[in-house]
This record gives sequence, structure tokens and C-alpha cells, in this order.
Amino acid sequence: MKNRINFIAMILILFTAGFARAQQFPQDQVKRGEEVFTASCTGFCHGDKGTEGGGAPRLAGRGLSAQYIEKVVNYGIPGTPMPAWALKLPQNDTNAVVAYVESLNGLIRTANAARLPALSQEAANGRELFFDSIYDLRRCSNCHEVGGSGVPVTSIVHVPADVSALRNLSTPQVQTATENGKTFPAVMFAQVKEETRVYDLTTGLPVLRVFAPSAIKLTNGNSWQHSAAIKAYSDDELKTILMFLRALQEPQTGGTPDRDAKGSAVEH
Amino acid sequence: MIDHRVRLALSLLFVAIPGLLQAQQPNTGATPARRQSGGAPQTQQGATGADWPSHGGTQLSWRYSALNQISNANVKKMVPVWTFQTGDYSDGLETTPIAIDGVVYISTAYSNVFALDGATGKLIWQYKYQASPQTTGGGLKNNRGVAVAAGKVFVGGRDGNLVALDQKTGREVWKVNSGGNISAAPIVVKNKVIVGGRASRGHVSAYNTETGRLEWRFYAVPGAGEKGNETWEGDSWKYGGGYPWTTGSYDPELNLVYWGTGDASPPFNGTHRQGIDLYGNCVLALDADTGALRWYYQEIPHDTWDFDATWEMVLMDREVRGKMRKLLVQASKSGFTFILDRETGEVLGTYPYVDNINWVKSITQTGELVGRHDVLEGETPWNVCPSNLGGKSWNEIAYSPNTGLIYIPALELCNHILLRQARGTDHGGGTWVFKEPPGHDSAYSHLDALDPVTGKKQWSYPYKFELFASILATAGDLVLTGDPEGYFFALDARTGKKLWSFQTGAPNRGSPVTYMASGRQYFATPSGWTVVGDMTRGVWPETETWRVASTLTVFGLPEESK
Repeated sequence: MKNRINFIAMILILFTAGFARAQQFPQDQVKRGEEVFTASCTGFCHGDKGTEGGGAPRLAGRGLSAQYIEKVVNYGIPGTPMPAWALKLPQNDTNAVVAYVESLNGLIRTANAARLPALSQEAANGRELFFDSIYDLRRCSNCHEVGGSGVPVTSIVHVPADVSALRNLSTPQVQTATENGKTFPAVMFAQVKEETRVYDLTTGLPVLRVFAPSAIKLTNGNSWQHSAAIKAYSDDELKTILMFLRALQEPQTGGTPDRDAKGSAVEH
Repeated sequence: MIDHRVRLALSLLFVAIPGLLQAQQPNTGATPARRQSGGAPQTQQGATGADWPSHGGTQLSWRYSALNQISNANVKKMVPVWTFQTGDYSDGLETTPIAIDGVVYISTAYSNVFALDGATGKLIWQYKYQASPQTTGGGLKNNRGVAVAAGKVFVGGRDGNLVALDQKTGREVWKVNSGGNISAAPIVVKNKVIVGGRASRGHVSAYNTETGRLEWRFYAVPGAGEKGNETWEGDSWKYGGGYPWTTGSYDPELNLVYWGTGDASPPFNGTHRQGIDLYGNCVLALDADTGALRWYYQEIPHDTWDFDATWEMVLMDREVRGKMRKLLVQASKSGFTFILDRETGEVLGTYPYVDNINWVKSITQTGELVGRHDVLEGETPWNVCPSNLGGKSWNEIAYSPNTGLIYIPALELCNHILLRQARGTDHGGGTWVFKEPPGHDSAYSHLDALDPVTGKKQWSYPYKFELFASILATAGDLVLTGDPEGYFFALDARTGKKLWSFQTGAPNRGSPVTYMASGRQYFATPSGWTVVGDMTRGVWPETETWRVASTLTVFGLPEESK
């Protein structure tokens, strides 16, 4: 059983190993940003590549806008350990860090990101299904954030090859949380000295819960299944959703302003 | 029996010494009957005491306090004690403060939350709401308050999040995204926090107060195969609507929560959603434990005027045609008051509370609409009365068991509805232009004192602009509210005579409350103008001079005269 979990974990690592490249910042700036980030931000505070675990919240896959990142990098967050870097690093380096952290959004495009790609009709239909309230408790956006909408329980960094792979996606990041002797499926969101934040996946609406570190114990493995979470979708619908996600992977060359799931124009 | 006697004694003490006891929850047990001169027996179970513990005061939503330290006899001495600026000037301050144990909790347009010392205004803690990067679910920026219970403060947001904060520290305990937009204050029933919102398919949802886990959800638009789905033309149910976007009421004896739903989508244009569109424009009675629908009453089948049934529902026990009944009274957006039996949903009476109604010729005592004039494609726009702001806006009425009257801020405003036809993925809809009522040079308002069952008017306070703040009634025989010119004022609850007023510096568009702290009674009123208020500029050009602000102003008697 343990071997099986390790095997699944390996698949997921392969699945999520890379981060989508930044679309609006030059690659050399992103690369420099990673160097600065690794030297100045990881270890004591943030985790490697913007993951949680270093004592500060996860940054990857959260849909943070460049504008927001820039503000926090330069001015810090008063009342928290996040310092103001504007006076500590050259501006070129803080700009590079902003570019790098923004790149950690994976497929996510924030409201402040460069213009979204023009979508084919099918991809646009996929976008509608991704957020579709008809599916309400079983829709993709309950756990994934795209275009600044949705809940960032986990980030989508690569698109599964087909519907079967999507349904059978392994999810080793879903752990078993134990609180007062009761267990529930959970995804770690952030862990700092005084609190642990996890997404509680007990119902179709994930709950971001805050615990004292001693009040919750997380162990690997859980029976939670991605296939159950998306079972409301037909195969054809999932195909369409995959087309939407692939469209977000395409190199962007501009395009017309996109429209959000509710049909109103997105402001860029 | 012991419980009965204790509660009876407590209730008598409660009435006799207001402020010494706290009405944390509505007491629907054996409360004493009070017979007013010439009136039916009135109980006090919906009155608040030292605290203002729930959105509507108690969950019976009377917006009435048993406090009488400040009364019609001494209110003229009332002075401002403290003010608090929230700093969130995005769209006014529409909150209903919650006051518990001398601490006042408010939320701002962007769902920032503050806990303040009720006696001094000193900040205890603040919470800055972090909206998702791109919020969806509606363009209006407003939030109408928090719920406080189970050691937590609950607030919703534009991005659909419902957040639980530690009541003592303001730190996040949990956060869940409901999938829509929440502007209403939640209520807490037992171990559930219940809230409505604007999702594509409107829903009322209950979450566990400790864990945030979804306990139940009732969809205002039934899905395929569900009962009620057949009332929509084809797949038009997928257009959604029915948003239960305000706060409901709760009867602990019946264990029912009552929630109103909005119109079907698209609004105004019903061309492609033929049918009665359940459960749009309904009063819903839901089992508080399971969310199961016990009964519903649809005020307007197939709405084409945007007359949501979402306004507050006041739960009172009154005599109707010689028999005591458990009532649900709603002064609805349509301009009619509906009197329902809250056990069964039976309509016991209706009456208009505005002067100008022309979308229907009449309504029967059992709620049948006679001579509807729907808004239809191809028809020249006409002046629909009342407007889609309603015979009153969302600002809430009050009910005083002392006087036996309800107090309604009626709005005499009409509108031309301009339909947009369906095209491609746009299902159509409409917009509007506000107009004066036919035969009038200007739109106008009036705050009326009415018998809640018959609609008989006791007095009327006229006003030249809109009255957009909620009404508060007290055992001191006061009725208080604010106006958009910035005045917070007190009327005599029995005569309507103005007794006192104070210029708060900005228009009033929130819900005043009263509470006790350190033995002193206070009134707290929010001020700050809103986008919705600005919409009426066409009929009231003065609107242009009214100011966005976000201030809580608190009043009391001078120390020496309380």
C-alpha cells in the first residue's frame, strides 16, 4: 500500500514538476527573480519555488496579481514577519522577484495579467463548464483558480493528456487530517509558527480552516478521489474543459479581451 | 414547568427593567401578554434587551428594543457620544451593527469588520477582508452586516466567501467560498450559520459554525429532474436567478427559517423563460436542520418588473379575524404587504403600502393578482409603479408590540423599463429610467405607522426624497431612522411627531440599532451614500451633493441625565 502511494506521489511530482513560464515578464527577469527569491526569501520563510512549509504562506498557484506582489515585496505586510524589501534590495531585483512570483501562478491568469488569449468556441464552452454553477458543488472552480476566479486549493500547472487521465488524476497532496480524534481529507495551505491552514475537503466546498499547529496532525494518504469530485461532468464536457486549459497554455500573442464565466467583460 | 415560570419571571423583569437582561435569542416560550389600550394582546418575544444580537434585532426581525432609558419624554436631550470612521469609503455603510456584551461589530462595503467598545468607540480589533483577485457575482459594493454567535463573527463578501472570525481577536477561523456573492448579513441557528446570496442559481446555504462545512443548500432554481424545474420553459432554468440576497428570519418554535427570493433571470424580460419560474419571487419556509422546503408562497409568478420577494419578514403573533395566528408580515418590493400564516404559508391578507401601484389593477385578500400589466417585448416603455427599487428599498421596517404598529419607509418612485432582447449567449434583460409617479411633479416618500394586519394607517411622516435607512422602534415609544440629507431623527411612535434630529454629516443608508453598555442606552446609526442612491439623480438632482462616507455615529443621554 505504501509503495502504491509512493508511486502515485512520483507520478504527481512528474505531473507538477514544472511551472508554466511567465507570460508578461521577460524570461531572464524571471530567472533572476528566482535567484533572488531563493537567496532572500526561502529557507527561513517561504518554501522552495513558492511552496508552503518554510514558515510563510504558499505563493505558487494563488493567482496573486503582479500589482499585489509588487506592493507586498516593496512595502511588506505590517504586523507580520513579511519585511519591506524596497530599501534592502536593488529595484531591479525586487522587480525580478515580482516577475518570478507572478510566474508561479502556473496556468492562472489574474485580472491584472496580460490579455487572456482569444478562445475558440469550444474552449470558451470549456471555460463556462469550468465555472458552471449548474454543477455547483462539483465544479472545477471549487478547487482551482483560473483567471483570478475560483478557489486556489491546488494549482493546475499541467493539463492531463485526456479525460481518462483527468478522471484518474492521483492526488497525493490530499492528506488525512486528524483533529480531536476525527479525520478529514485535507490539503495543506500554509504553516507558520502560530498557525496551520489547511483546506478541509469534507464537502464539495473546500473550507480553509485555521488551527494551532498542535491541534491538527496531517498524515500522507487519503481515500479522497478526483474522479468523485468531477463526476457530475460527462466525458464530452471534460474534453471541452481540457481544451480550455490547453488554450491557456498556448503562447499568447494578444487577442481580444476575454469574457468571464458570467458573460460580462473582464477588465484588464 | 420550572422553565416556564423562570422564563415568565425573566420576561416580566425584562420588560420592567430594560437593559439589565440580555436578549441573546428570541424567547418564544411563555412570554407574558401585554394588552395595550384598544389593541390585541402583544408579546415581547421579538424584542431586544441590552444587546442587539441578530440582524433584525432578534431572529423574529422586529427591529424593536425593550430599552426605554431614552424615551419620547427625554430624547430631546440626546447627544452624540462617539463616532467611528471605517476608512472604507467605497460605497457607503449599509451595515446593521451587532451589539453583544457592550461590544459593537460592524462590516463595511468591502466586508472589513470592526469590533468597537460600545461605550467609547475604541477599536478592539479589525479585520481586513481579502477579496479574491477577481471578484465575480455582481458589481455593487456593499455589505449589510455580520452575525455573531458561537464565539465567532461571520461575514460574507463580494467574492462569495463566508468567513468566520474569532469573536475576541478577529483572527480567521475558517473561510469557505459559497460560489456567489454575499452582501447580506448571515443568521446563526443552533450550530449553523445561514446565508443567502447571488449565485447563478440563487441558494440559501447553511454552514457548520465550527468547521465551515456545508450542512445544507436550498436552490431557488431547481435543477433538472427536481420538483419545480418544470415551471421553467425548456432549459431557461439554467439562466438562474431567484437570488435570496437579503437576510431571513427564524422561528425557533416551528424550527423554520424564512427566506425571500429574487426574480428569475433574466430580469424584466420573460420572453424566453415562460412559466411561473419557481422558486423566484417566493417566501420560502425551510427546515432549519435540513434545509427541506416545508412550504413556499410565490408572490409574483413570472415576474417582469424586478419585484423580488426578498424583503425582511417580520414574525409576530396577532389576531386575524378573531383568531390568534402566527404571522409572517412582509412589506414586499411590489408595493403590497403580504400577511402569511407562517406555519402553513396560507395568505391571510394583503394591502398596498404605497400610493402608486399600476403593474397590477388589484390584489385579492388571498394574493391573486388581478389585471397584470407585464413588461413585454415590442411594447412602448411605460411608467411602471413602483420602480424596481420597490415600494420600499431593502431598508427594513420595524414592529412595536407597544403600539401594535409596523413602521414602513414607503417610496413613491416609478420607472420606465427598457427591455434588451436576447441575442446569442445574452439571454436578454433590461434597464430602467426612474420617473415621477403619474400626476406628480416629483417622486416622494413617507414613513407610515400601520396596523400590520389591516394596513390601517395611524400616522404618516412625509419626506421629499427617498427614505433609505432602516427603521428602529423602542419601548420608549420612539421610532428612529435617517434620511439622505444626513439627519438621524426620532419620531414619537404613537403620533409621528418629530422629537429630535442630528446631522450625521452624510446620508443614512444603513440600519440603526440600540444597546446598553455600562448601564447606558445608546443608539448607533451608520451613514454614507451609495451607488444605488445615486441612481435616483434623474428624479432628485440633489442626490449629486450627497456624500459617500462610512461612519458610525453613536448617541446617548448626557451622563447626568440618563
